[in-house]
Amino acid sequence: MILHIDMDAFFASIEQAINPRLKGKPLIVGSRGNKMRTVVCAASYEAKRLGIGSGMSSKEALRICPSLEFVSAEQGKYIWTSEQIFAMLEGFGFPLNYTSIDEFQMDIGAHPEPLKLAEDLQKQIYANFNITASIGIAKNWLLAKTASKVKKPNGVTLITNANLKEVLSRTPLGKVCGMAGKTGAILSTRGMQTAWDLYLKMPEFFEENPGKFNEEPEKPKSIGHSYTLPRPLENPMVIQAWIRLLSEMVGERLRHRNISTKTIHLWLNGPEIGNFGAQKTFALATSDSFEIYSRSLKIASQVPQKRPKIRALGVTASQLIPQEGLSLFLKQNQREGLIKALDRINSRFGDGSIYPAQVDLTRRVK
Amino acid sequence: MHQSGFSPKARWDMHIPEDSDSAGEEFLNQRIDCLVLFKSGKIYPQRFTCHNKEYEIKTINYNWQERRGQEVINFFSVSTGTDAYQISFNNTSFGWRLDKVL
Repeated sequence: MILHIDMDAFFASIEQAINPRLKGKPLIVGSRGNKMRTVVCAASYEAKRLGIGSGMSSKEALRICPSLEFVSAEQGKYIWTSEQIFAMLEGFGFPLNYTSIDEFQMDIGAHPEPLKLAEDLQKQIYANFNITASIGIAKNWLLAKTASKVKKPNGVTLITNANLKEVLSRTPLGKVCGMAGKTGAILSTRGMQTAWDLYLKMPEFFEENPGKFNEEPEKPKSIGHSYTLPRPLENPMVIQAWIRLLSEMVGERLRHRNISTKTIHLWLNGPEIGNFGAQKTFALATSDSFEIYSRSLKIASQVPQKRPKIRALGVTASQLIPQEGLSLFLKQNQREGLIKALDRINSRFGDGSIYPAQVDLTRRVK
Repeated sequence: MHQSGFSPKARWDMHIPEDSDSAGEEFLNQRIDCLVLFKSGKIYPQRFTCHNKEYEIKTINYNWQERRGQEVINFFSVSTGTDAYQISFNNTSFGWRLDKVL
């Protein structure tokens, strides 16, 4: 059996645990920039009850609830808490998987008392971190994940063959993994409103997802980062610094996975240019952040306007291939040696410990 | 550890400027003296002194850790009964700071 642990409003709950003044209040967690010009990363259950949810603009959220509390996201503490919860769950001795920063899956085999185990887990999480989790238990990971969404917050749902129809019938289709977006919308126009409707049409969708344990991580199709600036910026030096920072983040992730990219996609958004997106494929694959940055600038030169105002931007690497061995050229080998040394420093002392001076420009503009 | 879709290494958000208006917090960044209990490998701040005023810590609400270069910083959200504060301990300098009023 698979036990799926889904933390309840994870970022918002951590902020409420840190600051007792925020407990019981509608709260959103957004970007570290201007609170009026960001999107909701996480909303507390008090905010969710008012119709505020992730992905909504903070302006809209504050319009719905003017007294809404806003907290700037700090990834460090969410990641640290996630790692601590993972370490605590490991202590239970079952195979354990991260599925995201706030979701974990445990293969509990044929545990005789899965509900009691789930309640013990919830108690330990609350005692150690002062936050709650909802837990789903079922024969495979997809059903377990679906079950974790049935009773939120702080609920436990066990799906067995006996109650499968009853539970899936009262679960909206959008709560099934992969059905919240367009696929779900298309299926609902064909008369599928609940998870049970989907089960009747496609039982194999639910039956053939045994779990992801001990599988090699999937090779990604693309790796990208994007960022929405606090306000539209015109200064090309600052915009280039942001492209550099995003390129550093993309490059670091490529090297971490031992892959290189041939195709770079740059996306820019601004009041004058609207959405500008272009990609270019190069003959040589790279994982060098500076090369990714240089390639991004070549793409940026295709923007027709001079000094356009930029509100949001993104760098994505695709056509990913395994990293090649040593180059024939001494200069390139020296460069690779330098990158490896920088990566080792960041790996030992935390990412962003050493970074190109150009990146500092991103901090100067609010 | 098996992971998919989430990299604990993605900690670049330190480069993003923070909005000082976050939840009405007041940033102080003051050096403080702190009386501490070290027990079973954990740190329990008991009371701290800032500008000659002593604050007794009634509750440790939350704690977390961040690495900044060579330094490891332990953060604590603490309540004195009436107010809540974020204080931090630097494992390298052994210094305590009052970061902000929550």
